[in-house]
Amino acid sequence: MGCALVYLQQQSYAEKVAHKEYSDMEIKECNSCHKSEGIAPNHDSDFVRGHRVLASKAGNNCNQCHEQKWCLDCHQGGGTGDDLTKENFGRDYKPKSHRSDFITIHPIKAQDNPQSCYRCHDTKYCSDCHSRFPMGNMRIKSHLMLGPNGQKYSFALGEHATEARRNLQSCQACHPDGDVCIQCHSAKIGGTNPHPRGFKAGNFRDRSDGKVCQKCHLPGSF
Amino acid sequence: MAIKRKFCLLAGATMLLASTAAWSAEIHGRSSTQFLWFNDIFTEQKQVEFGEYLNLSVSKIDKDNKLTFQGYGRLTQDVRNGEGLNGRLYYLYGDYHDLYNKVDLRFGRQFVNYAAGTALIDGGKIDLKNVGPVAFSVMGGRNVFFDLNGEGTRSNDFAFGVAAYLQGFQKTDAEVSYFMKFDKDGIARDQVGASVKQYLFNSVKVYSDARFDMPSETVSEVLAGVKYFPTSDLIFTGEWYQSYPTFDSTSIYSIFAVDRYQEGVFRVDYTINDKIGVNVGYSKQDYGEGADADVYEIGCRIRPIEKLQVNLNYDKRSGYGGQLNGGIAEVIYQATKPLELAAGIHFDVYERDRLTGEETARKFWVGGKYKLAKNMSASLRVEDDNNVSYASDWQGRAVFNYDF
Repeated sequence: MGCALVYLQQQSYAEKVAHKEYSDMEIKECNSCHKSEGIAPNHDSDFVRGHRVLASKAGNNCNQCHEQKWCLDCHQGGGTGDDLTKENFGRDYKPKSHRSDFITIHPIKAQDNPQSCYRCHDTKYCSDCHSRFPMGNMRIKSHLMLGPNGQKYSFALGEHATEARRNLQSCQACHPDGDVCIQCHSAKIGGTNPHPRGFKAGNFRDRSDGKVCQKCHLPGSF
Repeated sequence: MAIKRKFCLLAGATMLLASTAAWSAEIHGRSSTQFLWFNDIFTEQKQVEFGEYLNLSVSKIDKDNKLTFQGYGRLTQDVRNGEGLNGRLYYLYGDYHDLYNKVDLRFGRQFVNYAAGTALIDGGKIDLKNVGPVAFSVMGGRNVFFDLNGEGTRSNDFAFGVAAYLQGFQKTDAEVSYFMKFDKDGIARDQVGASVKQYLFNSVKVYSDARFDMPSETVSEVLAGVKYFPTSDLIFTGEWYQSYPTFDSTSIYSIFAVDRYQEGVFRVDYTINDKIGVNVGYSKQDYGEGADADVYEIGCRIRPIEKLQVNLNYDKRSGYGGQLNGGIAEVIYQATKPLELAAGIHFDVYERDRLTGEETARKFWVGGKYKLAKNMSASLRVEDDNNVSYASDWQGRAVFNYDF
């Protein structure tokens, strides 16, 4: 305990340098200080992937150099057209991760960390877009087994269960209310139990006042 | 419509403040007037619009410059398909910092980041600092999110959060936070987050962040990483990340069993000299139940002469989810002091499944920017897309920027 207090005290003497007065410097010039301070340059070529660790916390110092515009141009849209390498067709900047024909390749890119889409998009964004396409138009692997026109899977074939566990977000994009899932998984019809092992039913019941449970269970039965 | 009113409020406030000669505040910002033509993939119609993007900062309102206002929004008018006005207010907030040298206040629409959750809110954030080694933050308000057509927020969408974090330590960051989100059906999210970063031996950074989802009682996300930098020009990165698909508790999807996603990353970033920087990386992705994928990545930034910059990035992905093979090449040339020229290509060869076979997507673009004066510039950027949907699809933007 004593050592920890001494350590904390020594640390507190070595306070962080405010970066506001350096905000106009070029990134390469930052190294002149950071090199000797033993601090890794944070704005390297890995910045797009790595900046979440720096920015996604209370007390971050991003605003000492950047306006919120700098974050939101990618996260929520915007763009004043200053950077020629950025595209903003459709009113808002598209980050470079959304390259080439992103509409078509996004099912592949979305696999590279499935959480990354939700850092900027609400699930409604996905379902709004998918709802504009006729049902049966999407090339979903587990849906192709009975032919591209049928677009129906057979639970006996089993692949949809594996696919859903790995990539449940993609189910939600086309079936936001889970209406298709309930056809087979509802307890009202004695369907297959979809819950994970150790499912904390009470936690979910309390948070939605039972509304989610009642989609599959009769009132008073959960 | 509410958004359009808010944008008008932003623009009106600018004019009002600017015309108040007796007022000593400084108003700075950028007006970006744009002419856009692009293909609306949903209607399959060419959309042509005029847009006004306004970024605004008001400072030096009080003697100590503690109070500032920041705003940013856009308004577009379709001139071809009769879609009319479209607007979006990205942020508009007042910021008062260092009240009694201990409290920072921010009210209005703003982007808030905690380890436990991130939100764009119409509300407030209060930070209590300089009260010891730990500082505190609390935020709350209407949860703002956008769907395809604009703001998708409904009347019962709210977000709240609270955080405690270490303050003033040069080589240590740590934060613990709680984030809660409401929607019309109840508590949609409540999760605890933690983030920690520590520099060691002047050449190592270790870092981690995690989220714990309270309803499922699961650690929904964990990232643990280490960066080793023997010099500031050479950085080795190793990371492990895992996550579970997490849904709002008010969604039926929250009750389904899901598989864990894991990812291991190794990469090297090396700035060889002022002219060349390179990076290579490899990620191993594991989707559970025997599905995995490999991603290789390589890139470089070359500046053979001061006026010319070339950026090249290539990655190759194979495994679960499909094959993807492609990248981006860009050239930026400062032809004269006021004139910048740039061009680039995006190229991807991909195969989503065996039935589709290999397909190709290409995007070519070219642009130029001319600085008319110290506070004025004009730019033009056009691109042509060749892909499975379009043999040729021209889109572009013409921009006039005025800084004030």
